[in-house]
Amino acid sequence: MKKVMVLLLLSCITLPAWADSIGYTVRATDIKQKPFSDASTLATLPEKSSVTIVQRMGGWVRISSGKGNGWVKMLNLRSSSTRKGDSGLQSLFNVGRSGSSGITVATGVRGLSSEDLQNAPANPAEYAKLAQFAVKANQAQQFAKKGKLQSQTLDFIPAQ
Amino acid sequence: MRHYKIMLIAASLSLSGCAGMDAQQLIKMGGNMADKVVAANKPVSEAEEIQIGHGIAANLLGAAPLSTNQRAQSYVNNVGRWVSLHTDRPNLPWQFGVLESADLNAFATPGGTIFITKGLLQHLHTESELAGVLAHEMVHVLSKHHLAALQKAANLNIASDLAGQALNAQNNPLMDKALQAGKEVYARGLDKDDEFEADRKGIVIATRAGYDPFGLPAVLQMLDSANAQDSSLALMFKTHPAPAARLSLLDKIMANNFDGYSAPTQTDARFNAAIATLK
Repeated sequence: MKKVMVLLLLSCITLPAWADSIGYTVRATDIKQKPFSDASTLATLPEKSSVTIVQRMGGWVRISSGKGNGWVKMLNLRSSSTRKGDSGLQSLFNVGRSGSSGITVATGVRGLSSEDLQNAPANPAEYAKLAQFAVKANQAQQFAKKGKLQSQTLDFIPAQ
Repeated sequence: MRHYKIMLIAASLSLSGCAGMDAQQLIKMGGNMADKVVAANKPVSEAEEIQIGHGIAANLLGAAPLSTNQRAQSYVNNVGRWVSLHTDRPNLPWQFGVLESADLNAFATPGGTIFITKGLLQHLHTESELAGVLAHEMVHVLSKHHLAALQKAANLNIASDLAGQALNAQNNPLMDKALQAGKEVYARGLDKDDEFEADRKGIVIATRAGYDPFGLPAVLQMLDSANAQDSSLALMFKTHPAPAARLSLLDKIMANNFDGYSAPTQTDARFNAAIATLK
């Protein structure tokens, strides 16, 4: 158990997923001292409380809030943004796009808009390159072994 | 089969257009129609599925080529191929490609070729998140969502319309029709229920492969927190239900069923190493 805790704590450090983004609770949510259902409850956030997301670990996220800091279940949060305008995610690789017309110049990298998907000519030469990266089942098994991944048995969950 | 023929011949005889035909012609006509009826119930063969997927993948690569980063390509193929071994079609010719695009998106094509954009890859944080995205795409292949959508879009029944001829990419007008319909389907997106099914089954497939079940939900949270107006998300948001709606569905079905799983930390180190090489 102790070993598991250490591993989990280590994994915290490497998971800055959507750090410092703002979320809100979709239902009343307990703030736990640790990322476990049976950990002690520090406070309870009412529905629609705003929280700052610090990090994720599995199904839990560490938050800070007016009601205290601790861990809440990830799926109790949504973080739909209210920001407007281009946030700059689109950066270096659309240089082929000329101006605001959305027209793609022949030498540049094409885009993946609906129009691009409908108009782009096929590129069979590029398709042929895929095979060189493809991995055989036994290679993938070796890769999994190196990563200490272990297969689990689990059924699909019916649609609700 | 015999029943179909008799019924169809009877139906043919009742049509005024049959005047002037002799009995032999009528039987032949009925027989051909019956063959089509039977073929309509036949699924598209795996070879046809793969061939159509090949054409669609080549079209997608026309819009965005592969990243030249071999390390990232190999890494994504390793993760994807491992995950694919936990599906009920482990022997499909699964192959994966990182597209040179700053957009955030991923695509599945019939027969097992799957793409993820470099932009999306750069916005992921763990191998479990990557596994979740790839598993979602795999469900589209497993459930033949695109194949069904393009046949519907083109009012095409590949298995019956082919009637035994080879689906040759160069010369078969049927293939052209299928690929044209494919372009429309990829530009428009699948039904939202197909996307929800891919989420619902995708988390299970990724978990089977030993990954954190919350990888895909974490990606959806990232998308939910991203700016919906951002141009790099335009196609993804146009072709998928809102991330918040997808999270709500996973919220309902995940409940406490997935609490006991976590990914080994070894996967984080190699994820970071592989993604760090992407420029």
